[in-house]
Amino acid sequence: MVTTIRWMSGAAMHSALGSLAAAVMFGMTATAQGAGELNLYNWGDYINPELLKKFEAEYDVKVNLDTYGTNEEMLAKIQAGATGYDIVFPSVHMHDIMHKLGLLWESRINEHPDFKNIEPGFIRAKTDPEGSWCLPYAWGTVGIVYNKTIVPEITGWDDFFAIPDQFGGKITMLDDLRETLGVGLIMNGHSVNSRDRAEIEQARDYILARKDKISAFTYDVLPLVQSGDIAAAHWYVGAMYTVFEDPERMAYVVPKEGATMYQEDICILASAPNKENARLFMEFYLKPENPVLNVEQQMNGTPNAPAREMLPEKFKTHPGMNPSDEVMAKLQIFEDLGADLKLYDRAWTQVRTQ
Amino acid sequence: MATALARKRLRLAGLLSPISVVLGVFFLAPLSILLVYAFLEPGLYGGVEWNFYHHNFGRILGWADGEYEVFDPVYLAIFARSFRLALTTVVITLLLCYPAAMWVSSLPDRLKSFFLFLITLPFFASLVVRLFAWILILKPTGWINETLLALGAIAQPFDMLYTEGAVVLGMVYVFVPFMFLPLYANLEKLDRSLLEASRDLGAGGLRTFLRVTLPLSVPGMVGGSIIVFIPSLGNFIVPDLLGGAKVLMIGNLVEQQFLQARNWPFGSALAWMVMAAVLIFLLVYVSVVNRADALQER
Repeated sequence: MVTTIRWMSGAAMHSALGSLAAAVMFGMTATAQGAGELNLYNWGDYINPELLKKFEAEYDVKVNLDTYGTNEEMLAKIQAGATGYDIVFPSVHMHDIMHKLGLLWESRINEHPDFKNIEPGFIRAKTDPEGSWCLPYAWGTVGIVYNKTIVPEITGWDDFFAIPDQFGGKITMLDDLRETLGVGLIMNGHSVNSRDRAEIEQARDYILARKDKISAFTYDVLPLVQSGDIAAAHWYVGAMYTVFEDPERMAYVVPKEGATMYQEDICILASAPNKENARLFMEFYLKPENPVLNVEQQMNGTPNAPAREMLPEKFKTHPGMNPSDEVMAKLQIFEDLGADLKLYDRAWTQVRTQ
Repeated sequence: MATALARKRLRLAGLLSPISVVLGVFFLAPLSILLVYAFLEPGLYGGVEWNFYHHNFGRILGWADGEYEVFDPVYLAIFARSFRLALTTVVITLLLCYPAAMWVSSLPDRLKSFFLFLITLPFFASLVVRLFAWILILKPTGWINETLLALGAIAQPFDMLYTEGAVVLGMVYVFVPFMFLPLYANLEKLDRSLLEASRDLGAGGLRTFLRVTLPLSVPGMVGGSIIVFIPSLGNFIVPDLLGGAKVLMIGNLVEQQFLQARNWPFGSALAWMVMAAVLIFLLVYVSVVNRADALQER
C-alpha cells in the first residue's frame, strides 16, 4: 500500500494537474487496441518518453501511455474491468496482490538469456520468487531534499526535525499515510510494516509531537524548496534532478537512521490484448542501454547490473543516489498489510486532525 | 374529456422525461450505489464484500468496531471543523458580495454585462492553476511578504501559506462568483418603485435598506449561501493545496478512504453524511423562501 504519487520530473504544477486529472477521471476510457500496438498504464512521469520512441522505432509498434497516481487507483480501474491495457507498473506489494487476484499473465521472462542482467535481489515479490511473471523495473529511496543556502548539511531525521528551531526554515512531509507514519516507526526502531497497535500509536505520537514544526503534508514542494520558502522536504530520490540542475543550492540525502524504499515491477495483464508486444517490451527493457536511458531522466535506481556500469560517472558517485552499505541495510520496503491498514488509516486521520 | 386529460399527462411525461433520465442516470443511480456501499463490508483490496456491515456509520460517531479501533470522536471533530470553515466562507462571501451586487445592479445595462463578465472570468482558467497562483502569492517569498518586508511593515515573513486562514481565503476566492450571481439576480429584479415609495413616505436611506431592500433580498442571500455552503463543505482541493493537508476537511477524509485506505464503504458513508447535512440545509432554505414569499404577498 504505497500510495506514493511519484512525480519524478517536471514542474510541480504539471504534476498536480496530472494527479488531479487522474483522481477525477477515474473511469476514463482505455486506449484503442490494434495489431501493432502496446498500451502502457504507468505512474505519471515514471518513464522516459525517449524510451517509448525508441521502442516504437525498433519494433514498429505504436505505444500508448496512460497514467495513474496511486497503486490503488490502478487496481481499482483494472478490477472495475478496464480492458485494453497490456502492461502495468505495480509496486512490489501490489504485484503480489494482483497476482493473488489473478490479474496477471505469466510472461516467463526469466527464460530469456538477457534475464541474467537482473540482480537476483530485486526479485522481491513473494508470489513470484523465480521472476517468471513480472520484470523488476526500477527502485529508489525516499529521503530528504533540502536547500543548502538555509541548512548547510543534514544527515538524518533528527537533523530534519530540528531545522525549524535551529535555522528557522520550514519543513514538509509527504501526504501519504504509510510514508509519513513510516518515519515515526523507523525512529522508534520498528518495522514500517508493523501490525502492532502500540507501535503504530507510538509512530503517530512521534509525528504529532512534531506536527507544529511540520508546515505541510504535500507532494508539490520541489519549487518551494528551490526558492527557499521550504528549507527541507521528505521526498523521493527523483528530487535529484533538482540537485543536478542546481548543485550549489540543492541536496538530497538518505537519512542515516533509515528510510523507506520503493520498487515497481513491469507486469503483463491477463486481459492484455497485445501480450506478444508486451513481452517484446520486457525483452527490450532487459538490454542495459534502455534502463540507462530511463535512469538518466528519472534519477532512480535500476535492477539491471550491466546498465548500472554504463551510467555516467555523476550518477555512479553521487552520495544521494549511492547510499553507503550501512544506510542501504537500513532501507525498508512496504508490504501489503491487508485489513491491518485500518490501524494506519485511523492514526493518520488523528495526525491530520489534532 | 378523459382522453384529452390522458394526452395532456402523456405530453407532460414526455416533456419531463429528458430531465428525469439525466437526474436518474447521473444523480440517483450513483447516489443509490453509494447508499448500498455504505452498508457493506470493505473489501481487502478496495471494492466491497457483499455482506451487511453496520460499522461504517457508527465509526463516524466514534463507536469502535472493537477490532481495529477504540472510541474516538475524531471524525466528528472533522465534521465540526468542516462546518465551521464552510460557514465562515459563506459569511465572508456574503459580506463581500452584497455591496458589490447592489452596486453592479445600480449600473447602466452595458456596464452591468461588463462586470458580470469580470465575475465569471476566473472560470476560464483551471481551478488548480489558480490555487497554485495563490501558493506563489502567499509563500514566505511571495509578493505580499516581499512588499511588506520592503516597506518595513514586518521584520519576518508573515506565515500565510499552509494555515487555516489560507484555506478560508482560498475557498472565499473560489466561491465568490457563486454568491455574487444569485444575489445579483435577486437585487437586479428588485422593484425600484418600492424603494421610491419608501423614500416618499419619509424613510431615510438606511431605513429603506433595512426595511425594504434587505428583507426582499433574503431569497438571494439564502440561495447564494446554499450554493456556497454545499461545495465548501465537501471541498478537498483547497485544504490540500493551501492548507498543506494539515487542515483536514470531510472532502479530504472521503478522498483518503477511497485512494489511500481502500475503504470504499466508509468513504460512501461519509459522503452520505455530507449529503444528509446538505438536505437539512435545503429544507431550511425552502421554508425560509416560502415564508418570504408569504410576506411579500401579504
